[in-house]
Amino acid sequence: MTADTLSGALAERAEGGRYASFWVGAWRRFRRNKLAMFGLIYAILISLIAISAPLLTPYEYDKIQPAVALQGPSREHPMGTDMLGRDMLTRILYASRPMLLVGILTGLAGLVIGVPIGVLAGYLGGVSDWLVTRLIDLFSALPWYLIVLYLVMVLSPSLENLIIAMTITGWVGACRLTRGLTFAVREQDYIEAVRALGIPTWRVLVYHVLPQAAPLLLWGFAAGIPTSVFAEAGLSFLGMGIRPPRPSWGQMLAESGNYWQYWPHMFVFPSIMITLSVLAFQGMADGLRKALDVSQNV
Amino acid sequence: MIRYTLRRFLGIMVTLLLLSLFTFVLSRTVPGGPWMQGVEIPQTPAQIAAFKAKYGLDKPIWQQYLIWLRNALTLDFGVPFSMPERSVTRLIGDVLPYSALVGGLAAALAITLGLILGVIAAARQDTWIDTIVTSYAVFIGTIPSFVMGFILVYFFASQLRWFPSGGWGGPKHLVLPVVAYGLPATGGVARWTRQCLAEAMSSDYVRTAYAKGVRQAGVMTKHVLRNALIPMVTSFLPMFPGMMTGSMFIEQVFGLPGLGKYFVMSSTNRDYPLVLGITIFWAILIALTYFATDLLYGVIDPRVRIVESAA
Repeated sequence: MTADTLSGALAERAEGGRYASFWVGAWRRFRRNKLAMFGLIYAILISLIAISAPLLTPYEYDKIQPAVALQGPSREHPMGTDMLGRDMLTRILYASRPMLLVGILTGLAGLVIGVPIGVLAGYLGGVSDWLVTRLIDLFSALPWYLIVLYLVMVLSPSLENLIIAMTITGWVGACRLTRGLTFAVREQDYIEAVRALGIPTWRVLVYHVLPQAAPLLLWGFAAGIPTSVFAEAGLSFLGMGIRPPRPSWGQMLAESGNYWQYWPHMFVFPSIMITLSVLAFQGMADGLRKALDVSQNV
Repeated sequence: MIRYTLRRFLGIMVTLLLLSLFTFVLSRTVPGGPWMQGVEIPQTPAQIAAFKAKYGLDKPIWQQYLIWLRNALTLDFGVPFSMPERSVTRLIGDVLPYSALVGGLAAALAITLGLILGVIAAARQDTWIDTIVTSYAVFIGTIPSFVMGFILVYFFASQLRWFPSGGWGGPKHLVLPVVAYGLPATGGVARWTRQCLAEAMSSDYVRTAYAKGVRQAGVMTKHVLRNALIPMVTSFLPMFPGMMTGSMFIEQVFGLPGLGKYFVMSSTNRDYPLVLGITIFWAILIALTYFATDLLYGVIDPRVRIVESAA
């Protein structure tokens, strides 16, 4: 490499050129994917709805009004009312909160726990790697919903415990991704080079290994959201999730059990919201996987 | 092959042992229990002590675990708190057929329909047929089975009255649960089949086979299918136990008396022996399927055998 190209490369590096071009390219690929863009717009909209729910509706989600119970959609109640006379639209809007909380907090907690463990296991190898691999095996031996249901039972059902239970099983995913990538990166020449410069291990991991994992982890985070949406809805449906009177789409679906054959609006709207959310977040994750080109690393 | 088999088996045993330790210790160390919540009649400390002594809950945890493990090795998972007249093993044996039937049929439906759709999409790659199948697969896969259950019951039980809306009876009672459970799963099967076939079809050996003048039917059966079968079998076979364990949602919608219903019920009641028994039973079932899949892998793909025997 001549001095000229070297300084050119350094200048580009200093402006963050190389990294910027990767993310710009990824964004360009993402934007072309219609389902992914729909997912992104849906995610932004539903977040705004979750934040501003009290401003969007004149009703309270837990106000019981027997006089207006079980009404179909009308001008006053666009989605009708449930068996206790609570406004369905209000409950649908408020129910976006536990859905997003479970999705985002579980993903973040999984990254916070899984990434350090995965990086250390993959980098150090040996006994610590063997231990972490056993842990990953342990949590992959059963379908996640069985372990989550078991944990929620032991801890007693609530939104907080659902998030804790989902984290206990969910960190394994981020850990496995990071471990695999670190394992591959560890043998690269540039890592040997920075090690030879005498840079401490933690700096090597934070500045030279982790940036390589960023696209993979972003995709992993997004891919976990549809699972969390499904888990929150499913467990609330079984009565093991959000406690009433706080609403959740899965719980509203379960509540409609005795009524929906005559008042189908009680199951139509929660069903649409659950399916739409899973579709949107799944589409966003699929779009990210293609845009970031992480498929061959997984 | 024998060494490979033994090593895999040992690994599964270690995982099952760790899982049982984890679930057991968790259930005994977290405060609360069946005698703590929802009791209408107040219990004296003496009564609680008697209850604990009866179920061996007064011993140290490690002793409890060893006793439980010794019994579990002979498939004796104790007696449910809430149904002392039946043992956990009896109960699992009694209700397993319901879950196995619904889950097995649903998995069979998902694999059959998904395979057909996937093959069609792969054969007509990048045409409008491919687009329709792929879009169907993405969309249907996002509908949770319990939502699908509600939709089917509304149209086919409530409105058209073709099938009963729930409960257990003749084959007619099976139709809606199996379809509601199997249909969303067709999406994943179709996508995976299409991907595996497309990958095999674009490989060099397929081009070589065509270049040699092998007819299309011959290329498809001898070269494409044989190679695409490997990743397909390894992901489709575990669907059977997977769908048996996941049937709790669909059993709830249709009120079926299967294992999932008892798992949810015993979770709500904190019936630890029953939950532990069902969890470990499911883990064994799933672990054995993965083990069988690994062995089958060696049968389908001769490369695995050769590499293993050379090592």
